Amino acid sequence: MIEITESPLDHAAITDRVRSTSAGAVCTFLGTVREMTGERRTIRLEYEAYPEMALKKLAELEAAARARWPIIDVSLVHRVGALELGEISVVVAVSTPHRTDAFEACRWLIDTLKEVVPIWKRESWEDGGEEWIHPGLGGP
Amino acid sequence: MSTPRLSAIVPAAGESRRMGRPKLLLRLGGRTLLGRVLEALREGGVESIAVVGPPISSPEGPEIAAVASAAGAIAVSPETRPPEMRRSVEIGLERLRVDGERDGILLTPGDSPGLTAEAVRLVRERWAVSPTSIVVGRSGGARSHPTILPWDVADGIARMPEGWGINALIRSHADRVVEEQVSEDVGPDDLDTPEDLARWRERLGEPMISVKVRLFAVGRQRAGRAEIEVRVPASGTVSDLRRAIILQHPALADLASRIPIAVDDDLAADEREVHAGSRVALIPPVSGGSRP
Repeated sequence: MIEITESPLDHAAITDRVRSTSAGAVCTFLGTVREMTGERRTIRLEYEAYPEMALKKLAELEAAARARWPIIDVSLVHRVGALELGEISVVVAVSTPHRTDAFEACRWLIDTLKEVVPIWKRESWEDGGEEWIHPGLGGP
Repeated sequence: MSTPRLSAIVPAAGESRRMGRPKLLLRLGGRTLLGRVLEALREGGVESIAVVGPPISSPEGPEIAAVASAAGAIAVSPETRPPEMRRSVEIGLERLRVDGERDGILLTPGDSPGLTAEAVRLVRERWAVSPTSIVVGRSGGARSHPTILPWDVADGIARMPEGWGINALIRSHADRVVEEQVSEDVGPDDLDTPEDLARWRERLGEPMISVKVRLFAVGRQRAGRAEIEVRVPASGTVSDLRRAIILQHPALADLASRIPIAVDDDLAADEREVHAGSRVALIPPVSGGSRP
């Protein structure tokens, strides 16, 4: 299942959706809002998506993962909008017959999702600064 | 006296370094630049044309040969790319010599966007009454295209000292040069950069379309809105769109020059065409991936 939502993510419900009697393994990854980045303290994160393209890229990721691993079911859910510290920004849940495939597919899905799906985050720092995080783009 | 025999050589082997893509295949007014030139030659009364392109193994080689053949020209594809126009002309002459000598050779570069059938006709008719003259077209106050060299002058190219080009050859026969006014247009007639292309499109009245470009994250922040409208040529590409954003939305100039652009929800190469209904967005680098 593919979803982009402004609502808080219920990781247990999302995990339950991929469970199956054919599965011997379910692997769930949660991305959560971290407080400290080096010496800087985050007070809030905001995520913004290009929804049409993000949904298309998520569907492509699911198809690519299904072609590579014996996946029974998979959920890729990303939250957008303002998030508080510790809240869940992304959930990847994968079920497969055996655990090696579940771990590998889950790892590949979150790594690739972070590289190719057009969803951006803006850090609000404790020192009052705010910035969109664009690795490699350099300063304004 | 019978009509003197005239053939054209169109050097078309340039690397288009400053344009960043094969410029002879750029579309201007719905046709390729090379196709326009060949049509002007044919309508202007030149029946035999040799197009000296790049090697067929180069990326643009097959398409340039195809455009030449489609226009009824002889497509010449040398083994190695001619390093300058003089060499292209020599190769064209070698090819034409196979079918016998002519009385004159008309030269015009494949990237002469301002060349018209009328200019070709005027220069050709001027030369026909004195076939031993070198006839050079003149636009506004400057020499332009095309040029007709009598066969003996053209044939001397191969014997010129190294480093001499076509202009030096013409200068060495200054007493035989005749100029023919072919248009009153002023301004440069070359087309080397994306800016030149935009100027030509405007000059030739190329239709423009409006494209909506969506902005996210730092793009939206810098523009102060989520969407901009950009005017681009009707047959424009992602590369034209970048240029248009840089000129029309200076706040986004830095981003537009270097971040990916998505067309219809996929990242698009610079050559991809953009249409009025295309869904277009600037895609800044995404936040993940730096520290997994």
